[in-house]
Parts: sequence; C-alpha cells; structure tokens
Amino acid sequence: MLLALTGAFLPVINRLFRISTLLGAVISTFGYLLALFFVLISDQGRTILNSFFTTDEVSRLIGVLILVASWMLMLVVYWIVQKDKFVNELIGSVMISTAGALLLICANNFVSLTIAMELMTMPTYLMVLFSFDEKSIEAGVKYFFNGALAVGFILFGVSILYGLTGEFTFRALVENLFSDPLVALAGVFILAGFGFKITAFPFHFWGPDVYDGTCPGVAALLTGISKSAAFIGLMRVVFEAIPVMAPHFSFIFALIAAVTMTVGNLLALAQKRVSRILAYSSVAHAGYTLVAFAALSVPVSITGILYHSAAYAFMKTAAFLSFAALLYIWGARTMDDYKGLGKREPILAALFLIFLLSLAGVPPMAGFISKVFVFTAAVDAGMTWLALLGLLNSAFSVAYYIWIAKQMYLEEPTIEKPINDTSRVWVVIPLAVMAFILIVLGIYINPVVDASLHYAAKVGF
Amino acid sequence: MVLLSMILIPVIVAPFAWFLERVNRDIPKYLSLAVGIFLSICTAYLIAKYPGNGFAFKEFYTIYPPFDFNLHLAVDGISLLLLGVTAFLAVTVTLSSWHVERPGAYFFLILVFLGPMVGVFSSFNLLWFFIFWEFTLVPMFFHIGIWGAENRIYAAMKFFIYTHLASVFLLLGIIVLYLNAHTFEFEKLVGINLDPGIAKLIWILMFIGFAVKMPVVPFHTWLPDAHVQAPSPISVFLAGLLLKMGAYGLLRWEIFVFPQVSKFFAPLMATLAVLTIFYAGFRALAEDHIKRMVAYSSINHMGFVLLALASLTAAGISAAVYEMLGHALVISLLFMVAGYIHHKTHTWYISELGGLMKRIPLLMTMFVIGVLAAVGLPGTAGFVGEFTVMLAAFDYWGWIMIIVPLASALSAGFFMWMLQRAVFGPLKESLKELKLTELPLIENIPLAMYIAAFIFVGLIPSVVFNLYNPVVNTFAQLFK
Repeated sequence: MLLALTGAFLPVINRLFRISTLLGAVISTFGYLLALFFVLISDQGRTILNSFFTTDEVSRLIGVLILVASWMLMLVVYWIVQKDKFVNELIGSVMISTAGALLLICANNFVSLTIAMELMTMPTYLMVLFSFDEKSIEAGVKYFFNGALAVGFILFGVSILYGLTGEFTFRALVENLFSDPLVALAGVFILAGFGFKITAFPFHFWGPDVYDGTCPGVAALLTGISKSAAFIGLMRVVFEAIPVMAPHFSFIFALIAAVTMTVGNLLALAQKRVSRILAYSSVAHAGYTLVAFAALSVPVSITGILYHSAAYAFMKTAAFLSFAALLYIWGARTMDDYKGLGKREPILAALFLIFLLSLAGVPPMAGFISKVFVFTAAVDAGMTWLALLGLLNSAFSVAYYIWIAKQMYLEEPTIEKPINDTSRVWVVIPLAVMAFILIVLGIYINPVVDASLHYAAKVGF
Repeated sequence: MVLLSMILIPVIVAPFAWFLERVNRDIPKYLSLAVGIFLSICTAYLIAKYPGNGFAFKEFYTIYPPFDFNLHLAVDGISLLLLGVTAFLAVTVTLSSWHVERPGAYFFLILVFLGPMVGVFSSFNLLWFFIFWEFTLVPMFFHIGIWGAENRIYAAMKFFIYTHLASVFLLLGIIVLYLNAHTFEFEKLVGINLDPGIAKLIWILMFIGFAVKMPVVPFHTWLPDAHVQAPSPISVFLAGLLLKMGAYGLLRWEIFVFPQVSKFFAPLMATLAVLTIFYAGFRALAEDHIKRMVAYSSINHMGFVLLALASLTAAGISAAVYEMLGHALVISLLFMVAGYIHHKTHTWYISELGGLMKRIPLLMTMFVIGVLAAVGLPGTAGFVGEFTVMLAAFDYWGWIMIIVPLASALSAGFFMWMLQRAVFGPLKESLKELKLTELPLIENIPLAMYIAAFIFVGLIPSVVFNLYNPVVNTFAQLFK
C-alpha cells in the first residue's frame, strides 16, 4: 500500500515542487525499498482487514520477487523513455499497478481479489496509451475492452457463488460449496476472466496486439509482473476457494494448456517483429503454467505454478526491457534490425541472450528448472502426453529464441548509428541484477520450493 | 574440491579472457592454455590418487535434499579416462586455435564449454548431469555460427534445434525416472527395481537423447553439417567430447542403471550399430567432400562403440570405452588436417586435390598416419579399439558378426581411395600456382601430440584398460 501511496503522490509532488525527474526515480526507489521492507517483515498466516488479505510464504516470496522486478523495471524505464513525456506519471502508474499486483497475490476473498485486480489493471489502461500514437491508441482501446470483459466474467462468476452461499471469503466458500453444475458454471466464468489476464487460448488475441502496440517498457510490466500476479491469484482461487470443482477442471486446464502453448509457439515462429515474438512467447508461457494447473491433483503442481510464475516474472520482464532498451537506443524493431547488434552492443545483447535462453529453458537459468517442475507435475498427475507435448513445444520454441540470438551474433550489422545515445550503465545494471537473480533462482531452488511446500500443506495436500 | 574447481575455474576465467582481449590480443589464448594445463594437472593428480576401483573423490554439495537436487561429483575409471580426454583436447585445441580471429570471444566460449564438460563426466546426480549436458550446446552454437565456414548459420541452427529436441526426450525420461525412483543419485539408481513397462519407456526416452548425440544412424543428420561448417578445432571438440557425452551417458545412465532392460533392447542397439557402421561407411565412400568424409567415418566409429556397448559384457564395455578414446584421438587429427588442407588449397573436394605429398610432405605424412590409425593399423589405438570391439561382438552375437570385419574393410577402402586420389599421385594443375607450405610449428605440435598419444595407447593399451577395467568388471556382474 505504501508503494501505491508513493506512486500516487509522485506526480503530484513533482508538479508541486517542480522536482527534476531524476529525483522522481530516487523517491520511488525509496518507496520500493520501504515496501520490500514491509513485505519482508510481514507475519505469516495473518489476515488483514477482516480476512480480506492474507500473508503467507507465497505472498512473501512472490511479493519480494515482483517488487524487485518492478523496481528494476522502473529504473530501466526511467532511462529509456523520452524525457519530454510524462515520465513521472508513467513511473507513478507502474508503482500503483505493482501495488495492485502485491495485493492480488495476498487476496483471500473475492471482493479483495477483484479490487486488487482492478487496482493492478487501471493504471495500465493509461500506460498503454503512453506512446501517443495511433497504434498505441488502438492497443489501449483493445486492452480496455478486454480488461472490462475479463472483470465482467469474474464478477459474474463471483456473483453466482455469492448467490449460492452468501459468502465471499475463500475459507467460507470451501466449507459451503459442493459439487454442483452451478458452481461449475461460476468456476468456468472466473476461469475465463483469468484467461483474459493470462492470455490463455481462446482469450489471447488482445495480448500480442497490445504488447506490440504500446511502448515496450509498459509491455514488460503487463506480460511479466501482471501476468505472474494473475497466475498466483488463479492459484489461490483454484486451490483455496473452489477445490471441489478442481478434479473437473483438470482436463479443461490440460486442453487449454495444450492449445495455448501450441498456438503461442506456432504464431511466434511466424513473426518478423521481435516484440510480437516475445508477445506470442508470453502466450506460450501461459500455456506452460496451465500445464501445472492441469496437474492440480498432485502437490508438485503448486511448485510448478509458483516456480514458473517466479521465473516468468523475471525473465519476461527482463526480456521485454532488453528489447525496449535496444529499441530506444538503436531503433531495432524487426528481426532484420537485430542483425549484428551483438557487435554493436555487446553487454546488452549478452543480457538479452541470457533472458532468451532462460525463456527457452536452457540451464542453468531459472526457466529450465521451472519447466522441470511444471512437467514433473504433469507426469506425476498421469498426463505424460501433456508433458511430452509441452516439452516438444519447448524444444520447437527454441527455434525462434535462438533465431534472435542468430540475428544478434551471427549476422553482420545493418544499423550504423544509434538514434538515442544514452548512458548504458544505468540500463545495464538493473538488467544484470535480473540476470543474476535468474541464475541464482535456477540453481538455488530452496526458497521457492519451500514456499510451495508450505502452501501445499496449507491447502491440504 | 578438485572436481568442483575443475568445473568452476574455466567458467570463472572465461570472462577475463573476453575482457582482457582489449588489453592484449594474446592474453585469451594463454589463459585458455593455462586452464588446459590446469585441467591436465588435476586429471593427472586424480589418476595418480585413484584407488583402482569404485567411485573416488566424492564431493557432495547439498542444495535441496528433499528433491534430490544436490551437486554430487565423483569419478570412477571411466570418468577419469574421459576427463583425461577433455584435458588433453583442451590443450591441443587451444594450440590449434593459436591464430584465430576475435580471440577474446572465441576462448571465452571454449572456457565456458570446458567447465560443464568436466561436469558431464563427473556428475553423479542425473539432473545435474542434464544441466551440464544441455549447457554445452550454447558455446558450441556460437562457435559454429561465428567462426564456421560458408554455410555456418544453417549448420549452427540445425545443430542447436536438433540436439535440443533430443534433449527434451532425455529430460522427459529423467522426469519419469525421478517420479518412479524418487532419486537422481547414481548410486541409488543402480540396481533399482522398477515396473518393467515403465523402465522400458524410460530407457527408450533416454536412448533417443543419447542416440542423437552419439549419433546413431536415423538421428545423425545434424552431425555432417555441424562438423563440416565448424572450424577445425571445434570439430575436434564436437567429435572428441560432444559425441563422447552421448556414448558416456548411454553407458552410465542406461546400461549401468537398467542392465536388464538394456539386455532386452540389446538386439535393437546392435542392429542400429550395424546399420550405423554400414550406412556411414557407404556414405563416406561416396563422399567427395574431404571433411564430410571424415565426419561420416566418425559416425562409423561411433557405430563400433555402440556395437561394443550392445554386447553388455565386461569385454564389450571395456572395448567401447577404449574405442571412445581412440576415436577422440584419431578423428581429431583427421579433422585438423582436413581443415588445413582446405586452408591451403581453398578446396574441400577430393576430386580437385592430388599429389599433396609432393609439396607438403610433413603434414601429409601425419595425415597418412592418422588415416592408417583410423583404418586400424596394428600399433595404433584404432587397431586395439576395433579388434576388441569385434572380439566382444563375436563373443556375444556369434557368427552373424562376420559382417563387422567387412565394414572395417569398407572403411579401409574409402580411406585408401581418398589417400590415393588426394595425397599421392601427380600434383594437380590447379594446385601448382598455389603456395603450399608446411604449417608453423605451433600448429604442428597438437598434431604430433595426437599421433604420439594414439601410438602410445595403441602400443601399451594396458595403461588405459587397467584404469577402468575393475569398474567395468564390477558393473558387469549386473548383467549376469
């Protein structure tokens, strides 16, 4: 909440005192540090505001990761947007949206869940419009309607559940719900609402258009942080609120997962623009996470969901940020523009390569071990076909990730001069921090697995 | 700490090689050479201290015990031999690459490759084995793609995607194995009792992963492209280490872990092996491209390794491991010389070569020695390898293996024919204007090292056999 307050007041403060923009970044850094401090000291198992929000290992871990990712995002975005635009407003929106994501992963109640999700989404409606061109307006409109539709679906599902039980809190719902077609209907609506947020098939259409249309720094927030938070929210709904319907949903999840990752990867292979490749790869990654959801009858599925969300929040945000930096500095938008960037920009390109390899699932980055957990869950739940399909998908997805690497390193440069020659240091440091965290998460698996085991015990495995 | 430092020191030194290029172009290669010598000293120390049987030098780094995700390093005789090959090739490849362009990035990638390679041969935790296994692809991809020949980008992409696809099957096999055995540790996996159906599924999934790396014939198509396009020193790494990873993985994680299932699939392995030997032999015979011919002969030799493994006897496994060593030394020499021939004559094609012996006798003499070793001349590693493989195959499969000496004759045929056309005979008109000179000393040293090594282990094979025979005999009890 503190983060949200800092974020909300940042533009106001700056307008009032005409503070130079650098100080804005410094102030928001303090906001992040304070929020990190509060997340770290938060007690476990507490409920806040009469069981609106809960804090446990999951919320603490993912909270820390989301905060760090968002902080790094803020630092990078600050350096790579045109200074004459509303940088402070943008950063303020990022912080409010991050606060929404933090609340979403703590939500313990359908009311707070919906509110947190709106808090996370509302600032992004503005941010999508940030680059003020025709494409971003189209993206903004698309995003707004899809977002509204998603919330509508979720609210409809929630209202059915409320009509049946008169309860909003997850704990009360678990006690009162029974296997019933109406509950299944409510579950399907809620699932569809989340489907929009995580760009699952068949609700994925808006994703690539929006990620491509808006400025890539914002897309990094949308694909990386918001989606990760939505995964955790969905996990809480599935495991805490409507576990009665879970066995019925397993197959639906499996089907959606299979189609989502296949569609995402196939379409990504066909793209020429790097932002669209990353966008479709984010659709494919939603599919991988849904594989873990499909395996919800075994505890390792929680590890899979949690690990993939954690790794995904970092690698996708970072990949989009690297793209954003290269776009800002070199104007590189399409695959052809990427030719030889490895020679022109060795460190940034190397970092981008690390994130791409992590997305592709090459060890020792976190993307690899998270995939291991996801597919272990699928095999454990008896869905070896799904695991095989997912792994094949993952193998073919390497083609387009490595294609970007090929363009960067194996081809001769086409672009001669950078369009904006800013200082690279402040872009590289946050990205290097993210790469470091990715590698650490890929080898030191204890925090995430421990948190997931605690959570699994809590929801009754 | 020795094994861990052998993995970490190359990786830690690697960035220095990259950044210090700007200070002085010579620093990266000396760093790489230093690391190669370091690896050699460490391996020599390990071999000297090795007790003779069983696993030694265990290092256990706890990471997450409930999931069995712990870095467990150890070596036995077989690993030690392959570590020796790794260290030896690290030195020779560095010397061969002495005048490479963009040395910083090149030696950075070599060092990043060497660390995980040591990990592959010394990891006794299956998941870590896979992590090291998979990571070796990345430096190789850039080596082929940046320093390769004309068609390098296609070859690099094909190499990466093809072998990564194979690794996916291996990973699925590992996951199924873990869910049934609840462990990744080699020592706990040996002799584990699984449901036969599940065990067969795991075996097949993992075999696909290893067979592509080896490569076995239906899965071999990435190799000729990768080898031909890669720069020669990198071809040495591909042939000498990457292919060995496949054979080693098959031996360590399938044959030792699932002896009975392997017995069930032994006819399949033997059939694939014979198919590989003959298919690669005939392709080599038909090949005009000299490096591609060497690549096919490399596949042909790996067929012998698989054939020996398929016999599932102590003699067969001993022969397979020996053949792995012999292949690494002999084929490396051939790849290097094929690369130099192209460098000097600007052609890859045997039909455009001829009479090279007249102009560059020293290089060509070494080439002839290498070819004779590959054909199996007594006194070289090639002879001991092929001979023991055939003995083991006869012993196990009986008279039907009469076809294998025929394959050996085939390999003699294509090599001798190539020598006659390219090396001996009158000098081709087109080559007369070229300035054909001998190699500088530094590039001759690695070639001489290969020759010395394969003649040494060919004359005194007991040096090698004694290192790992006790281990093989222990495991051979499993097949009874």
